[in-house]
Amino acid sequence: MNFELEYTPEQEAFRKEVWSLLEGCGLDELEFPVDSHDLSLDQYQRRRRIGRALGEKGWLWPTAPTQYGGGGLTIDHAIIIEEELGKAGLTLPPYYDSGGQLGGASILVWGSEEQKAHFLPPIFKGEVRTWQLLTEPEAGSDLAGVKTNASRDGDEYVINGGKIFVGSDHGAEQAWVLCETDPSAPRHENLSWFIIPMDAPGVSILPMDLLGTGNEGGAGTGRKNTIHFENVRVPAFNLVGGENNGWQVATTHLELEHGGGGAIQPNTLVSRFIDYCKETRRGGRPLSTDPEIRLRLADIYMRSEIVRLFGVRNFWLANANQPRSYEGSQLSYYEKMAGLENAEAMLDILGPYALVKDERWTVLKTAVELDQRNSIVNLHPAGTADIQKVIMSRRIGVGRSIREKAGALA
Amino acid sequence: MDLSLTEEQELLRRVTRDFVQREFSKETILKMEEARQETTSELWGRAREMGWLGMLTPVQYGGSGNSLTDAAVVFEELGRGPVPGPFFSSGVLAALLVQEAGSEEQKHKYLPGISSGEFAFSMAITEPDYGWTPGSIGLTLTSQNGAYSLSGTKLFVQDARSATHFICAVRQASEVVFVVVEAGAEGVEVRGLDGFVTSMYEVRFDGVEAPTSAVLAEGWPAFERALIKALPILCAYQVGGMQTVFDMAVDHSRTRVQFGRPIGRFQRVQDHIVRLVNHLDSARWTTYEALWKLDTARDAETSVHMAKAVTAEAYVKACDAAHEVLAGIGIDKGYGLTLHTQMSRTLYSYLGDPKHHKRKLGNALGL
Repeated sequence: MNFELEYTPEQEAFRKEVWSLLEGCGLDELEFPVDSHDLSLDQYQRRRRIGRALGEKGWLWPTAPTQYGGGGLTIDHAIIIEEELGKAGLTLPPYYDSGGQLGGASILVWGSEEQKAHFLPPIFKGEVRTWQLLTEPEAGSDLAGVKTNASRDGDEYVINGGKIFVGSDHGAEQAWVLCETDPSAPRHENLSWFIIPMDAPGVSILPMDLLGTGNEGGAGTGRKNTIHFENVRVPAFNLVGGENNGWQVATTHLELEHGGGGAIQPNTLVSRFIDYCKETRRGGRPLSTDPEIRLRLADIYMRSEIVRLFGVRNFWLANANQPRSYEGSQLSYYEKMAGLENAEAMLDILGPYALVKDERWTVLKTAVELDQRNSIVNLHPAGTADIQKVIMSRRIGVGRSIREKAGALA
Repeated sequence: MDLSLTEEQELLRRVTRDFVQREFSKETILKMEEARQETTSELWGRAREMGWLGMLTPVQYGGSGNSLTDAAVVFEELGRGPVPGPFFSSGVLAALLVQEAGSEEQKHKYLPGISSGEFAFSMAITEPDYGWTPGSIGLTLTSQNGAYSLSGTKLFVQDARSATHFICAVRQASEVVFVVVEAGAEGVEVRGLDGFVTSMYEVRFDGVEAPTSAVLAEGWPAFERALIKALPILCAYQVGGMQTVFDMAVDHSRTRVQFGRPIGRFQRVQDHIVRLVNHLDSARWTTYEALWKLDTARDAETSVHMAKAVTAEAYVKACDAAHEVLAGIGIDKGYGLTLHTQMSRTLYSYLGDPKHHKRKLGNALGL
């Protein structure tokens, strides 16, 4: 076994090349608010420009095929790019985008040749940002019960309905939407998957006031929105994967979103929190020397390490084309619960200091306060903790001899 | 990055699994448990030939000089049984301690016998004032006419019945040192401890004599170094145990029908199995990473203490979850789950309980 990524001299040279591109992107002018909702429009646009600069080289979605605007590079190259962006405090992509990894993967698996040629290059080059529009007020965990309707009208579909818990601040150019196309068909055979331009007439966006911002997809999402469709017309060309085949298409991005792709980046809040406890004195001695706090810190550390190791394992499974089963949902479930338990342990250690974002008294520049809220918010996106357990059980084959298969990845 | 086993390790796994299935069937293990016997000369004789006992000993001392990960592959399979016997005590912990603490002469004296299985070493560390720190060692080595004499009680000693030798932690002035005592020496008395424990003993030493050459050259720090390498192997044994427990629970969830359907269709039953597999995989991957760090000479201290703390607790909790799934049949000793439940409790505190290793982890993190 080898848990470490190893790089060739050629790859190390590539690393230098990536960094020199980033250096020319005005890194000095970037700001990093603790709460992603505090990211200004100007700062968002700077990140989009970095995205386009990367996209031009094929480095925004490095492993995507070159014929569709991706980099055609190995996963090792992708990690190098991610690591270099990490040095600059950025993620890959440098802003919230459901287009490349989730939507792009789905189009690669399910789209026609014409659709791939049309939709993928703008996504992979960073010319557009794409949101995912799945959840509805009456279809959350039961995603297959979505009721947003798409009706065929000549060469177009007409879309009516509403989606909730969508996207981020500062808008998006397009979205993919799971719609019902045949209300009389059986469950899972009634849905279709569309790409919709967000500037189409009849699309309206209303921001939501939520407890926190969550952080699906690496970059913070900022504020979520509700979206309303009123007679929104899209070309039939924008239907990906065929009419009433939308649930199959969705299994691809749901698999990725449920942790199937894995992750290798560590959680930095935990190490910063541990350092804070070493440096901060209460009752005349460092917090970290209190025997009970030491045990709690060990628990926090262990939980975050298990999350990291599950992420590394899933990363390897996905990239070495190993058979996958329940592991994606296990990572998602464990990360949600560990996040909540760690936040509660931090509250226990710090008391009310964990809860205030008051400039004078806050801890780690409000990061702990934000985590107190976001650890609750994070229980729900990309499938609730309970849904992850349902998926795990099906994949393990609890109570059934035929095990459900993991979704197809590109 | 490659988290798969090598071809050789896969082969080792298959060979070990076949042997364990053939020689250590559930019925055999249950019989040994019934007789409170950790091995028989017949089983030990056959197991010796597998070469497991010398895996961690270099070739020049009669071993095969395998990696820790190789040994972990074997012990994961033994844990599936769970196969009792002094395989870990002798082939791992004692072998590593002699390598870390012994003089050249002592290595040549003990390691070939340990590797071949001619010797079975048992570690007599803890005492009635139970603990795994040097401060808990009170048994004193006294000097007598150029030899040593040993009197006192070691408690909760694993695998003492089948031992040919004990390595006994003893106090000598302010130091803790290790003395090798032959199990057949006059004044050694071994008494099995009955209860919800596997292979656990009281060992009394009453004026037992030992030559000065039987004291290993280095004291407690060498034991700590040996432990860092040995602990992930013990963890692998527990991971194997959890894997069996998981398989039992999933199988039962499919075949046991109540209210007209397999019980695994009930989400409350599913919750137990989700909890179980999370414990299993937490233990598995913390253990594997610790092994990899050790085998590649990386600093492994945090990983090892974490793996031990996670795994000891996970094995107990995994068995609890399986008992919830298996209900009545699970507590029938003939079913086999309780072999693991008892083993999980026995190993919970062995070589330091989770709290002990969390404290050590805290030290390693600089807290």
